[in-house]
Amino acid sequence: MIDYSTLQPGQRLSHELLTLDADSIAAYVDAVSDSSRPVSAEGAPLAPPMAIAALALSAVINALQIPGGTIHAGQELEFGKAMPVGATLTCNATLAQNSMRRGWRFLVVNLTAADSGGNAVMSGKSTIMLPE
Amino acid sequence: MCHIRKANSSMQQGDALPTIEKKISQAQVERYAEAAGDFNPIHIDPDFATGAQFGGAVLEGTIAHGMMILASVSEMLTLAFGERWLDSGRLKVRFRGPVYPGETISAFGNVKSVNETDECRNVVCAVGVRKQNGEIVISGDAAVSVALDG
Repeated sequence: MIDYSTLQPGQRLSHELLTLDADSIAAYVDAVSDSSRPVSAEGAPLAPPMAIAALALSAVINALQIPGGTIHAGQELEFGKAMPVGATLTCNATLAQNSMRRGWRFLVVNLTAADSGGNAVMSGKSTIMLPE
Repeated sequence: MCHIRKANSSMQQGDALPTIEKKISQAQVERYAEAAGDFNPIHIDPDFATGAQFGGAVLEGTIAHGMMILASVSEMLTLAFGERWLDSGRLKVRFRGPVYPGETISAFGNVKSVNETDECRNVVCAVGVRKQNGEIVISGDAAVSVALDG
């Protein structure tokens, strides 16, 4: 059980390699019924950018052991590079803010994902509300 | 199929983006929980979800994941801007209300401004998702840089 009041801004929450394997992307595309199916100029399938965000966020959910009833309040995302299905990314999450308001704990988490060359693929900021 | 070299570079202020409409099912929510590794019981356990709080509202049952609903906005932007959305897109949204299984959502957007440089057009759009009853459940802005030769 995590004592969320002890989490400090700047604290690293997760660090992991994320492979955008075909099965994971297919499961994501099916779940959101995404019809866009982006492909590269060479015809290679590209991962939907929100799939990268969702899979990166799952590491945070696991790391924080998010309690039932947690609400996703806001999301910022910036995409820097289209990624082919099969690519491996390095994802990091750090805590940006930790505060209490009206009986909810607000955590703001910075997310980044980079390709194997260190190029920024995605960055983002998630605001989540945990019931106290 | 989205042909990435055909990103729409002719968007003008006031233009509407292609609307995406979907009916959300509990089965779909459960598939999303598996795919995204998010098993918060407000999405998959009706007994837990009923009576839980969403900001100031009391939930009537399970609700869809916000990121699952937001995916329809990204889908709309991919259809509008192709690979430019994947390699230069920016998005900032608030999740304003819950979406229950059985409800129909529409992702919508329109061009707020277009700023042109020698090399590209920076297109800013107001985007959001509304339910069939008109309630806005996601709202925010998106931006993308479109190469003029794109």
